[in-house]
Amino acid sequence: MEVSDGAVIAESLEAPAAFGVIFDRHGSTLLRFLARRVDPSEAEDLLGDVFRIAFERRSTFELDRDSARPWLYGIAANVVAKHHRSEARRLRAVARVAADRGVEDDPADRAVAAADAGARWTRVMDALGTLPAAERQILQLVAWEELRYDEIALALGIPVGTVRSRLSRGRARLAALTEDRHVTTYEPGTACTAGGER
Amino acid sequence: MTEDLEPLRRSRPDRLLPDDPPDPEILVREKARLMMAITGTSEEVVHRRTPAIYPRLAYTDEVAALDFLTRAFGLVERRESRMEHPDGMLAWLEIGDGVVMIGRAGEEHHGLVSPLEAGAPTAMVNVYVHDIDAHYRRAESAGAQIITPLEDMFWGDRRYEALDSEGHRWHFAERLSEIQARRAAGQGRAQP
Repeated sequence: MEVSDGAVIAESLEAPAAFGVIFDRHGSTLLRFLARRVDPSEAEDLLGDVFRIAFERRSTFELDRDSARPWLYGIAANVVAKHHRSEARRLRAVARVAADRGVEDDPADRAVAAADAGARWTRVMDALGTLPAAERQILQLVAWEELRYDEIALALGIPVGTVRSRLSRGRARLAALTEDRHVTTYEPGTACTAGGER
Repeated sequence: MTEDLEPLRRSRPDRLLPDDPPDPEILVREKARLMMAITGTSEEVVHRRTPAIYPRLAYTDEVAALDFLTRAFGLVERRESRMEHPDGMLAWLEIGDGVVMIGRAGEEHHGLVSPLEAGAPTAMVNVYVHDIDAHYRRAESAGAQIITPLEDMFWGDRRYEALDSEGHRWHFAERLSEIQARRAAGQGRAQP
């Protein structure tokens, strides 16, 4: 059984090179997180930033924790927040890929015309981009990173209750922004009037 | 519970392009930079590029395979490159200047199958090692199934063949000329 991240970081207080193990264990996960959120070309540089910041702040890590991953996610989320232009570009790029690929992936999409399905994907990503940053952050940590609420609370340094309330506000807002304006069902012989078309 | 998040979930960039790992060299490079920053050395970091050709082997239990290959065959994982997904792990293993990638078998993993599922090996990996006799002893004592014993071959190699944890076939060899040169240099037994 591997020693815990807490023990590794404790060791790195005396022997700094031990911190390399933290990179070994979590580098690829954090790289993928960053590549989802900013231009992939920038993700590499930001990965270095995240781990250098983490190393400098390692004395603030609570050493009884088994995993440093939520803590690293928190540092990475802050780093991403400072690059919102890149983040906005990434969201638009994702929307384009999603619009192209969504049709074949989603059975629900096959029921509607391809153009409508593509537009819906773009709408989801557009809506995500307009959410308050704190709500978007939590939606993405839940949906893209599959973190648990307690991990998100640790990462962002907020109570679990706040995670829940921000998540539910974000979901409601996302639903309001994407619903109503698109055709959710299409039955042959009936007019496509659900919510009205653009 | 969170079905309304399903469109968002499926819009994850790397879901749209499943099983498309970021370049593992990024991780090797960034780890090296981090270690330079941490230790304060300005030493040029030696970083080998991934070779132009390297196979991917599929396993039903890639975690057990990783343990077996490092323990029995002396492969060395580029630990910082390991990708952990809920549905499987990818790892890059080095020996000498060669690299193999290991991952999970399955339809969604490039349609690869493990020899366990196929009922027969479907590929053989050929590896030149240092000190073939020591390598052989290590593999045998770690429980590798030896298929052909150590023998000197007419083309100038000393070799043996073994199966890994799921039946992929591995061919390990050392050039007889290197073995002779080592003996002549009086090194005797080198480390495995």
